[in-house]
This record gives sequence, C-alpha cells and structure tokens, in this order.
Amino acid sequence: MQHQNPPYSVLDLLGTDRVTPATRKALLTRLSEPPVTNPQFFTEAEFGRLQRVCARLMPQAETDSIDLAGPIDGRLAGKNTNGWRYDDLPNDGDAYRLFLAGIDQTAQVLFNLSFDTITPDEQDAVLRAVQQGEPSGDLWVGFAADRFFEELLAEVVEVYYSHPVAQQRIGYTGMADQRVV
Amino acid sequence: MKTHPTEDILDAVVIGTGAGGAPLLARLAMAGLNVVALEAGKFWKATDDFATDERTQDFLFWNDERLTAGSDPIAFGRNNSGTGVGGSTLHYTAYTPRVQPDDLRLRTDFGVGEDWPLDYHRDIEPYYDELESFLGVSGPAAYPWGPARKTSYRYAPLPINGAGRLMEKGCRDLGILTSPAANAALSAPQFQEGYGWRSACTNRGFCQAGCNNGAKASMDVTFIPLAIQHGAEVRAECLVTHFERDSQGRITGVVYVQHGKQQRQRCRHVFLCAGSVETPRLLLLNNLANRSQQVGRNLMAHTALQIWGEFDEPVYPWQGIPGALISEDTHRPTHRAGGPADFVGGYLLQSIGVMPVTYASQMARGRGLWGATMHEAMGRYNHVAGINILGDCLPYAHNYLELSDEKDGRGLPKPRVFFSLGENEERLTSHANGLMRAIWEAAGARNIWAFPRSAHVIGTARMGTDPDRAVVNANGQSFDVPNLYICDNSIFPSALSVNPALTIMALSLRTADKFLMS
Repeated sequence: MQHQNPPYSVLDLLGTDRVTPATRKALLTRLSEPPVTNPQFFTEAEFGRLQRVCARLMPQAETDSIDLAGPIDGRLAGKNTNGWRYDDLPNDGDAYRLFLAGIDQTAQVLFNLSFDTITPDEQDAVLRAVQQGEPSGDLWVGFAADRFFEELLAEVVEVYYSHPVAQQRIGYTGMADQRVV
Repeated sequence: MKTHPTEDILDAVVIGTGAGGAPLLARLAMAGLNVVALEAGKFWKATDDFATDERTQDFLFWNDERLTAGSDPIAFGRNNSGTGVGGSTLHYTAYTPRVQPDDLRLRTDFGVGEDWPLDYHRDIEPYYDELESFLGVSGPAAYPWGPARKTSYRYAPLPINGAGRLMEKGCRDLGILTSPAANAALSAPQFQEGYGWRSACTNRGFCQAGCNNGAKASMDVTFIPLAIQHGAEVRAECLVTHFERDSQGRITGVVYVQHGKQQRQRCRHVFLCAGSVETPRLLLLNNLANRSQQVGRNLMAHTALQIWGEFDEPVYPWQGIPGALISEDTHRPTHRAGGPADFVGGYLLQSIGVMPVTYASQMARGRGLWGATMHEAMGRYNHVAGINILGDCLPYAHNYLELSDEKDGRGLPKPRVFFSLGENEERLTSHANGLMRAIWEAAGARNIWAFPRSAHVIGTARMGTDPDRAVVNANGQSFDVPNLYICDNSIFPSALSVNPALTIMALSLRTADKFLMS
C-alpha cells in the first residue's frame, strides 16, 4: 500500500500568508542553514563517522542533503538535552563517543576493516547488531547498546523530519495553518 | 502589572504557574491578597512567539535532564512537564474529561490503591462547573457517562477530525458508545478578563506544541491574565532552590535564582505548584514536609498505550483537535473484545491525531524503523490515525523519585524516577491493546502497531487524612509545615482514569477557597 501525496513546493507555501511570520522565520532559517563542516563537539574523525551512520539511518537523495549530524554536534556542544536520559546510559556526549568508537571496533571484528571503509550493507549489519543489543567488541561491555540506538535513531529522525524538505516529501502542509480571508 | 519589592512580606508566594498554580493565584489576588508567582520559564506571547514547527517549540518543555529508570522507564521532555508562564498547559492537549465519583474510591471498591479524602459532589463537581464555563470548554450537549451535568458544555463540540471519525466507525461496529470529547479549546470566540477576545479554534492540531491564537485554555490566556488584572505579580525566569524558615519551622522566605542572581522573597505562605517531579525534588532538596517519608513515593503514571493504524483514505493526522472523540465505556469495563476485565480500575479511549516529528520519533522508538522502511512508513503519514488510552495505575513501593548524585546545569541534583508496571497495569494494558486493535480492524486499518507509553507523573506528595501516610491534608496543606500548601498532580492519592489537568485546576480553586476561609 503506497500512497501518492499530491506534489507541492514547501518554498512556495512559505511565501504565502497561510504561514505566520514566526513559522516562516523558523522554517526559512532551517532551510538556509549551511551544513556543519567544522564540528564543535566531535573530532573530525568522529563527525565523519556519525555522518556515515546518519546516511544509513535516513538515506537521502543527493538533492535533499539535509544535515543530520550537524544539529547533533550543535546540541552536544551546547550541552542541551531533550529533558531525560535512560538511567543506564552515560551522559549523551559520552554515549555518542562510545558508540562511534564501538561501531568501529565491531566493524573490525566482523569485517577486519574500519566502519568508515566497509560497504553500506556491512555498515547496516553493524548497526543492526547495535540495535539488537549484541554488537561484538569489548568496548560495548557495560553499555546498553540497544537503548543508545533507540536514542540515536529518535534524534536522527527528529532532525530529518523537522526539515521542510523532508516534510514536503511526506506531504505535510500543517505549517500553512492560517486562514486567508 | 503591579510589582512588589522582595523585602515586602507578601501574603503568599506561588511556585509554578501551570494548572496547579495559576487558578489559585487568581483566586488569592481576587480576594485582595498580595501575591507573587515565581515561574522557572519565560513569559511568552504566543501569538507572536509560537511557530507552527515542532522543533522550534521545544522550549515549551522542561528540558533539564531527568534520569529515568525501572523496567518501564517514563519518557520526560515533551511527554511531561512544561516550562514558561502557563506551565504544561502550554503543551497539554486540552482534553478535559471529569473524573467519575468512583475514581475517588478505588480502595473502597477494589480493596487496593487509595481513596481520596474528598467527596465528588461536595468538593470537586462545583469547581468543574465553574472551570468549564470560565475556560470555555467545548463538548457535547449530553455527555453519556458519569453523573448528570447541571448544564451542557458552554460551547458546541469541536469538529471531529479524521482519527475521530474512524474510531467512531470502528466502535459502532463493536457496539462501543462514543461521544465528541470535552476539550478546553473554544469552538466560538470568548472574552477573557484581563486578556481580551480569545479566538475560536482553527483546527491547527498543534495543541501539544503550543496554541498561537488563544483558542486553547492554557493558563497564560485565562487564569494568569485574570490574576494580573487583580493585582498579582508574575515573576518569570525564577527557579526556586531554597526556603528560609523560622525556629518553629514555618517558611519565612523563598530563595530563587533569576538571571544568574540569587534573590529572596519574604512571605507568610507558600503554595508549591511545580508539578509532580519538581515539587518533590524541591522538598527533598530542602528536607521539607517529609516527616511521613512519603515525598517522592507512591509515584504513579497513567497507562497510555497508543494503537496506530494506516487507512486507505487520507486522514491528515495533524488536522483538528487531537483528542476529538472519547469513549468511557471502558471506565469499569465488562467482558468485551479486549478479553476479561481482570484488573482494578479502568481507562478511557480517545482518538488521537499526531504531528509528523512526534510520529516519526515514536516509530523510531516503538518500531525501530530506519532506512528504506522508515521512509516507506513515513510516506504513509497522511493516512495514519491513532487511539490512545488513559488508564489507572496503582502505587507501588518500587515506583518512586529520588535525588541522584548527578548535578544538572544549575548545579542541583538531577531527579531519578523509577517506574515499572505492576501486574494490574499489565492486565489493563493488555485488555486495552486487544480492544483498540479490534476497533482499528473494524475501521479498516492496516499495519496496526502499538506504542507502549505512560504519561503524567502522579502522587509524589500525596494527600490523605493520616500524617504518617500522606504529605498534605485534604485542603492541600502540609502536615509538617502549616504555612506550606501543595497543589499539582503530586497530591493525587490515586491516578484517576482521566487526564489530570481539569482536576488539578479544580483542586487549585478549592485549595484557595479553603485557605481563604481559614
């Protein structure tokens, strides 16, 4: 069962008076934000790996290119949280770093290569092992891998579906909520 | 707005401006008392500041980190407390069912849980009547469940959205009675003292991320302007950390941090209305009002399982009041499609709409979808509808709140909340799971899936008649500190099988009236 959403342009919609000034400002700002190239929280290597992870979790057409890793880096650099954390996970920043080191080790165990150089299918296998809470490698000992994966995935999809381009893709027009008289 | 110097000895300081604090603030101000409300968050102007964008609106939630533990850990952040003048009413769905009288006597009827030290008709119903008129609740002319109402709801029900129509269809097939729900959102414009005209709801469906036209009866467009009109001061961005006390243990001042600077407000009485996490946290931090050792204990959370399904026809799940339709046939369920009702208490059923980021996030957490499967599932977002329960929960020794050793950004210990469902909640949820799936199948849903969750932390400073087993008396007054009153959902002795906001407001008005009589 696949439905066709009627095509529309979110950019055109944002230009109309069906959108409030506050909404227009928020969404145009997000649309115009350049992708993060100099991470503030992660090292270059960690950030590159996080980008590879995001590309597997929410694969995108080249033309979409919604920055997923950048807002995560920004949040962690600003020490912001979503208001809660599973008690069995370390703080968000440490958990991300542990995960990024851990998937590299798991890739070494499974494929004798870095996570950064294995194929997308192999990367998916590593990520599935994390999601199932059974990744190989001693870095994972004592780390609730499946819990962290849930947190990671929720953050990535929230960033993705907050972007007007992704919202256009699913046919969401709720941002245009003003009656025009 | 009238302001008071901190050296003045005020009649009362109210901590928190949500459903617990705002109504009593207005009541005290209208009685001529000098009152100041301290609110941790900002004073927003929703019409200008609120965007129709979930991510931008994250500022409505209490985002200081809370640690969540137990076998069914509770999600906080957008799922719970709010911040800003108006508290969590800024992001509540405005769903305002009344409790039924038997909600208040679980122990009498089932031998477990707790009775309330209040009588429905004497202590709560008159406040419901007052509140529904003042807030401008929209609802059906004749509500099918509970005691007969004195009058109809003030306004006609809001339009039934896609999920509501589908739930109506599924329930009709199964012989389950439904009704348009009571929602504290206007179906016609209303003049609000101190605020002006509130618009009728435009069916933006954005209640949980902030109403931008005053249609939803959040406190910032109802009781707060009324309070200010009558001389109350609302001091925003003030986080309370300590209390000053005299040799008898009575509170003489409230210490708070505003813009990085510590301040002290002297006062004769304190009304603590910070919600069921911040209220016990503040009490535990100050070792206050806890001779019973019940502060932080008896923690409950509503069973709030959601069942989602996809339909052939477009639903547009962001449109309309999210909780448009209700059934309370499951309040004390008899044998139905869900199986035998082998549990204490009951639940209500509500249709639910959903905003896209919230839905995607729930599919990530609940279904673990990613890659192509997430894209496919979200490609059907426009065809999605949900049903939700709001059900009872019993208090257990294994569910509680404590202070952790970890400090938050303000240097205060983070709260740690333990929550695990008991057998009763498992049975209730299982019954609801079966019933809601049957409703969705009858309505023609495909790809039905369940999102287990709980909502509304309750009971962490409960009211009662026995000072050894409760923190406050039936009037909300601390047994230990006579000039301290508590009013929010932390004082609920039992969870109730309805959304709590209207009942918190009713207790708030009652607490003010009892205080003014004393």
